[in-house]
Amino acid sequence: MNTPNPPTLTRIRPRSGRGETLMLLMVTLAVLLSVAGYLAWRPERGGPPTPLSWQVRSFDGLGPVDQAIHSALLPAGEEIIWNNDDTGEWISLERAQKMLLPPFYRDGFWRSNGEVHWQLVLPGTHLGHQNPEASHAADAAPTSEVSQATQGQGATVYYGSGGHAPGQSAYLLVIGHAHAGVMWANQATIWIHSNPNAPYPAIVKAESLVGEGWRQVIPYDGSRELERVQGTPP
Amino acid sequence: MNAQALYRARLYRWLALLMLLPLIALAADDPGAGKRLQIGVTLHPYYSFVANIVGDRADVVPLIPAEANPHNYQPQPDDITRAMKLDALVVNGIGHDEWAREIVKAAGRQDTLPLIQANAAVALIPIGGDQDGLKVVNPHTFVSTTAAIQQVFEITRRLSELDPRNASVYRHNALAYAGRIRAMRAQYMSRFAALDLTQFRCATTHAGYDYLLQEFGLFVTAVIEPRHGVAPTARQLANTLDTIKNANVRVLFAEKNFSLDLAKPIEDATGVKVFALSHITGSAYSAEEYENAMRENLETLTAAVEYTQP
Repeated sequence: MNTPNPPTLTRIRPRSGRGETLMLLMVTLAVLLSVAGYLAWRPERGGPPTPLSWQVRSFDGLGPVDQAIHSALLPAGEEIIWNNDDTGEWISLERAQKMLLPPFYRDGFWRSNGEVHWQLVLPGTHLGHQNPEASHAADAAPTSEVSQATQGQGATVYYGSGGHAPGQSAYLLVIGHAHAGVMWANQATIWIHSNPNAPYPAIVKAESLVGEGWRQVIPYDGSRELERVQGTPP
Repeated sequence: MNAQALYRARLYRWLALLMLLPLIALAADDPGAGKRLQIGVTLHPYYSFVANIVGDRADVVPLIPAEANPHNYQPQPDDITRAMKLDALVVNGIGHDEWAREIVKAAGRQDTLPLIQANAAVALIPIGGDQDGLKVVNPHTFVSTTAAIQQVFEITRRLSELDPRNASVYRHNALAYAGRIRAMRAQYMSRFAALDLTQFRCATTHAGYDYLLQEFGLFVTAVIEPRHGVAPTARQLANTLDTIKNANVRVLFAEKNFSLDLAKPIEDATGVKVFALSHITGSAYSAEEYENAMRENLETLTAAVEYTQP
């Protein structure tokens, strides 16, 4: 009697068995790396610029009064620079009154936004150019202090303090050194200090201002909004 | 003529040509020399701004018909034809004229037509009132005086780059125009000086007036439209009516050129008085339109604040 042969088991390996596993691992790894790479290097969506620790956004970081004064300082700065390009002079606070130039002009806007006391600190002479009508305590700031403040820096500064609106700041419109003959060379930056009576800073360079508690205001302007809405502008 | 004279004549001709070559080369460097710029604009205020900046040195070309409503405009073939001939196009860029990109693209000018973003340097502010806790950009920068001046300066800066020969004229004109706008504002500010603004509360149907109100130290308590150009739902309207009543709002600013269908029921339900401000959209483009419309707006704003005085 023949006993049946035990079934023979033959293990058949797929020709690419090890390769398939390896390929699967490789593909998984590639997908993971791609996702991680995309997350790490994806183009940032536009929006209000992310402020550094020493900056504040005008769009959502300022109260209504500071926002209004910042909005007025921007075109005022441009006009001041143009005037300087054309005449070599800086617009004095007396002339700003005649030009009806906000935020310096003492009108309803000035009154409803804290009646800030403005001073013009000129380069070169380093003299505080004070409005003769001013009656604020800040007027008492010794000229010598102001004189030393901008020595050798070549910056022109419009310094606003003493505002009495709730939550109001002190302000600096700092117009950097102009390069002769370059029409658009002047650049203005705007700084605020949470203390509306903050004294005029010892030095108006960025690092010093930051050290004294001043924060640079960064506007959320139309070019940023365009990037957010439509991608990179043409 | 003998051979020597002929040779001399040829020599003189060559010398004359050689002397002319630098002049020809210089002329070739400035292909646009002597050409009047054709500057396109998308919105009524920009027609006024550019017309006042360029004076008689360039032509201002409205991209769309004057009577068209920019909020829901559909580009037409004539717009595309106009875009093909422009040297630059002034746009708001952050609202109201999104259709301009379609027109420029259809004209095949997306790579060759300089776009001047009027708002490029304007510090934008959010729409006032409650926007579900969101800070939404208000694109109505032209319904103001300060932000308008900033736009005039930005347009001037860009036009001066495109047309440097006329840069000083543009800047002179821009400063004079800015001075006129400021004088108009000052006239109304002096009327505001005698008014008490502390109790003034207002609502608006359209979120278009934050820049204007900011200049006068005024703020919006509530906006009826939940989004730009979007009608509120019954629930949203009910919430806004509650806000108006609770905040003791006495003035509602509606849009002069829009239907008052929304404003009238609110007036009936809350007792607010409706005043109409202009979005500066009209039936004809003109250099004076912006100043005329803003004078009306400032008159209306002053009347509204005077209405709330005890």
